[in-house]
Order: sequence, then structure tokens, then C-alpha cells
Amino acid sequence: MSELLHFSEHRLQEAALGFMGLVYIIRIFWLLSFKAGRERQAPTGLPGTTPSRGIFYSWAAIATPWEMESLRTKFLLYLQFVIFHVGVAVAITLSFIIPYGPGLLENGSVVLVTQVVTGAACAVGVLRFIRRVSNPYMRAISSPDDYFSLVLLTVWLFSATLAAPNSIEQGEWHLLTYFIMTAFFLVYVPFSKISHYLYYPFTRYYFGKTMGYRGIYPIRRVKRV
Amino acid sequence: MRWKRRKRSHKAEKVLERLDEKLNRQMVGSLLACVHCGMCTDACHYVLANPGDTTYAPAYKADRIRRLFKRHKDWTGRIFPWWVKAGSVFTDEDLEELRDIIFGKCTNCRRCSLNCPMGVDYATFNRMARGLLVSVGIMPEGVAVVSKDQWEIGNQMGVLKEDYLETLEWMAEELQAELEDPTVAIPIDKMDCDVVYSINPREVKYDPRTIADAAKIFHIAGENWTMPSEGWDMTNFGLFSGDDELGGAVARRLYEKVIELRGKKLVISECGHGYRSTRCEAPNWGKFDVPFEMESSVITMLRYIKEGRIKVDKTRNTRPVTFHDSCNNARSCGLFEEPRELLNIVCTDVREMYPNRAENYCCTGGGGAMSMSEYTPLRLKSAKIKADQLKDTGAEIVVTSCHNCVDGLTDLIRHYKLGMEVTQLVNLVANALVIEKAGVAAEQEDEVEVKGGEG
Ligand code: SF4
Ligand code: SF4
Repeated sequence: MSELLHFSEHRLQEAALGFMGLVYIIRIFWLLSFKAGRERQAPTGLPGTTPSRGIFYSWAAIATPWEMESLRTKFLLYLQFVIFHVGVAVAITLSFIIPYGPGLLENGSVVLVTQVVTGAACAVGVLRFIRRVSNPYMRAISSPDDYFSLVLLTVWLFSATLAAPNSIEQGEWHLLTYFIMTAFFLVYVPFSKISHYLYYPFTRYYFGKTMGYRGIYPIRRVKRV
Repeated sequence: MRWKRRKRSHKAEKVLERLDEKLNRQMVGSLLACVHCGMCTDACHYVLANPGDTTYAPAYKADRIRRLFKRHKDWTGRIFPWWVKAGSVFTDEDLEELRDIIFGKCTNCRRCSLNCPMGVDYATFNRMARGLLVSVGIMPEGVAVVSKDQWEIGNQMGVLKEDYLETLEWMAEELQAELEDPTVAIPIDKMDCDVVYSINPREVKYDPRTIADAAKIFHIAGENWTMPSEGWDMTNFGLFSGDDELGGAVARRLYEKVIELRGKKLVISECGHGYRSTRCEAPNWGKFDVPFEMESSVITMLRYIKEGRIKVDKTRNTRPVTFHDSCNNARSCGLFEEPRELLNIVCTDVREMYPNRAENYCCTGGGGAMSMSEYTPLRLKSAKIKADQLKDTGAEIVVTSCHNCVDGLTDLIRHYKLGMEVTQLVNLVANALVIEKAGVAAEQEDEVEVKGGEG
């Protein structure tokens, strides 16, 4: 292994992770510096709809697509969402496995699963990009950051697919690409839309709390017979 | 060449200054969290009724507000505004353009909020943005007029005290004639009552029958009730204009009146935004811890039936009816099962509307839209979604627990020639009331007379 690859797998990643962590901490403190609104009124809605139920229901929204009309009626998009995010999680995990637990990748099945998942996520990234540029509604709401973040993640997922076997027999370029991209990704994330996962617990917590307190969550619906 | 800072108009400057005061953690979360996934797009009736026009997409509209936050508060937007489409306002024209989006293209119905996987509550920060513009006097004419009436006269339709009291007296007389009972009254400012009943000024001005129907129900139920001579308006234009000061002040008048009368419970007549404001939002706007119970009249009527205080005969309401959920009731206060339960008790042919409850579509007259005549053509065009929903039920009558929805629905029914009627639960319950004459008179002796014109 070259010194450059060793540096990219270790020092560079550690520095990028440290930077991301620091910026995230600052970000969370900044968010918490805004006062939280308070509900003074007595709860409304049916008995059994409480703020805590609302919060759990709200947090679970992402795993319960049948509960939200937009997810229920666009199930293919939801499926894409799942594949894409699972792929990202696997690709991130890979950046820890290669330097700290490379033995795991000696198992061919682990490599295959990693490649299938990140490869599928990469394909979804391409589909998402096509949707973003071809759908006029998506174009209207997209910013350069939206396009760039999506392209960055899609290419990075592709590099993760190539890096998964952790082999330098054919050279190091694919591993170098993957680790340099991972470092860039970690540094860029706090300044981009990719940091949305940091806000998800907050927004859904507060929305769920209000909706639970007011008896709206869990949603009640009577289906057409 | 020296770089020159673009000058801002006084109003634009003030809007940005006040943005700080309006932000809370929930709002900041919603401003930060949008990933532009587009899942909320077709949750909005404006989008569905205007296919192809991307400017109606909730995320697009939200970004018109979000860009200010990004440009002035968020680090990426401050340094590289073009990268995240951050932007600012400089002229009064910029603010007017924003006004046409936040007042004209959104009824704050919260349907997109409920459909956002990230939990972005656009309707809430759209209201916040309305408040910012209102604070510098930029708002639709109707919003200015109604707000002024509510500040100055104490109710949003400018109903004078004498007219209000006269209407109550007139309704009491009608009831006496109908029930052939001269003791029937609408008590005013009676102390220590179990129920203080508050109404929408629309009832005084255009629909006094709802007051008489409610009075009839209270009378038959043997309720110890009263109506306040002042502070009786439970509607609150602060909800629509985003003006928390107005919202708090209006509700405080009513709360303080109930306290002065030592009322045990405030019952709020059927009005979505009135119920949401008085019951849910105004204690927060006015920072007022309300010491008495508050209840929708829908729940009161249902309770009377369950307690056997009134009897109803559903065969008096046999025409097919459907129920329209007001956004404020269903999506912001969880009031959607009780009206259905009551409707099924007083009507023989109830047909569900789809989607329903918290997923229902707005009547398109919400968010104060009925007072903004400059956007009427757009409102009626967007009402196509509701019109199709109504038509699909095959009902002859639409029932709703909201005066605003009554107006919105009536307008769209006329526009789309649906030939349906709109009514409220109070009217159906009153119509289904079984009145046992002998027992009634004895129970009413202790009620005070209407003090029309005194108060
Ligand atoms: S669904 Fe939510 S995150 Fe997606 S575009 Fe709409 S507001 Fe933004
Ligand atoms: S709040 Fe209602 S009207 Fe406004 S954008 Fe969302 S769905 Fe449309």
C-alpha cells in the first residue's frame, strides 16, 4: 500500500470526520439557541393521542410509508429512497471497514452484498438525477447544491462499489478515489442539503409533538370501500 | 470600481429585522430541513388545479421565504447565496411579490406539512411570513380592513354592540314563537354560568338562524348558559394575518370576559379557525394560561345527546349528506371523529368524502382567502379539486363545522354548478330535536331575559 493511500484511509478520514463532528456540534448548538415554542393550551383530540405517541409516530414516518399519503401513493419513489439511503449507510460503513476491519472483506459474500447495495443505490442516484432534471416541478425547486449533492453521492456510491473488494492488484486509484471522495463528502456535508439527517430528528420531533398533543397523530383515515 | 451595497427600502429593512423575533426552534428546523424531494407537490390543491405551473408547488412557495432565512441566517447561504438559492428583499415591489405568494397562493391548510417526510411545516412559516409583511403594512386590502375591525370594533365584521344585542333579542323572540314558550331567552352576561357561548360575527350578520338553533339546543338541554355582551367574537384574524399581537389581544378579550362572568366553560360555535385560534393557538400568542375549559359546540351537542339531555329523531334529516372537515379543525385540532359521530346520530344518509379527516382537501376559502377578493379567480379555479370531491359523494347537502368553509363551499358550489346545499351540525341537530313541551317550560323559569341594548 502506498503512503498516499495509507494517509487517505487514516489521517485524511480522521481529520475530515473530526471537522464534520465539530461543525455538527456547532450547528446543533446554534439550532438549540432558538427558543422552542410552548403549547399552553389543554390537549385536543381523541383520548390516547399524546405528545409522546405523536413523536414516536412522527419519527417512524420514514419507515411507515402507508401512513403518509405522499409516500403511500408514490411507492416507487419511496423504494428508491430506501435503496439510496441504505446504500449511503453501507458506503459510509465501508470507509471504516477497509482501514479498521479489512478482514471482513475477505468474505466474498460481504463484498458481493456491499457491491450490490451500493451499486443499486448508485443506479437510484442516476434515476433521481434524471427525475430532478426532467420533472419541471423538481427543476423549479432545485438549487445548484441539490444537483451537486446528488451527483457527488452517486459518483461516490460508484466508487464505493469499486472499492468494496479492497484489492490493490489492479492499482490503487479506485481506493484512492473512494477515500478522497469520502473525505470531501464529510467536509462538504455540513454545508449542504446532505446534512438533512441532522435535522430530521428535530423537525419530526416537534411536528409529532404538536400533532400528538392536538390529536392528529396517529392519523385516522377511512378508506374508500 | 468600488463595490456598492444595494440599498433597501425601509419596509424591506424592517422585515429582515423582525425575522429574528419570529424565529423559534420549530420554525428554524422547518426552514433548514427541506431536501427538495418534491413529495409534497401534489398534496396541494393549487398544484392539482393548475397543472404545469410550478410556482404553486409548496416547496417552491416555501423557498420564496426560505431564501431570506438562508441569505441572512444560514452560513452557506451567507457565503455562497447562489449555491443554495438564497436571496433577499430590497424593494417594496419585492415584498408585494412575496405577498401575492404567501396570501394568494396558499391557504395555510397544512396539507403539505402533513405530507412532508422531513416534517417541514410550511404552513406555519408561511403564517410567520404573513405576519412579517403585515407588520410593515403589506397585505391584501381585505386583510387590512378585517384586522382593523377586529382591533377597533372588537369583531372581524364590524358588528356594532347594539346590532349584536338586537339580533339576540330577535332570535329569542323567534324561539319563543316557535316553541310557544314566552320564557325562552338568550341570557346575556349572566354570572356563574356553566356555559358561556361565543360565536362568529358572520352568524349575527348573515346567519342568525344558527344562533337561534344553538339557543334552542341549550334551552331544551336545560343548560345554565349565557352569551357575553362584549368580547363575544371567537374568530381571530390574527390566525390568517400572522399577527400574533392581534391574535393574542382578540382572544384575551374573550378569555377575560369569561373570567369576569365567572363562567365554567367556554363553548365555541362551529368555526374552524375560531376554534383553532381560541382553543389552541391564542393562549400561545397571548401568553395567557386560560383558567377555564374550552369546548367546541360539536362536542357539547354530542355530550347532551349522550347524557340524555336532548333527544333527537334522525328521520327528520333524510336527505343524503356528506361531511367536509375544516382544515383548522381536522389538521390542527384533531376534531374529526366527534362531528361524524353526531352527524350519524342526527341524519339517516351519511356519505363519506375521500380523502377525509386530516387528509381532506381545503375548501379553498381558508387562510382568510374569502376576504382577499383580488385572488378570487385563482381561488375558484383551485376549488376544482374540492368540487370534484364533493360531486363524487353523491350527497345533496354538505355539512361542515366551520363558517368560513360554509362560505368557501357555497361559493364553489355556485361556481361549479353542483346544486348542493351547505349547512352546519347545529342546524341539523336543532331540526332533529324532539321537544317534549310540558317538561320544557318548567325548566326554563330561572333563565334571565335578554337585555337587548343594555349589556
Ligand atoms: S416534502 Fe418536505 S422536504 Fe420534500 S420538498 Fe416538500 S417540504 Fe421539502
Ligand atoms: S398549506 Fe395548503 S395551500 Fe399552502 S402550500 Fe401547503 S397544501 Fe398548498
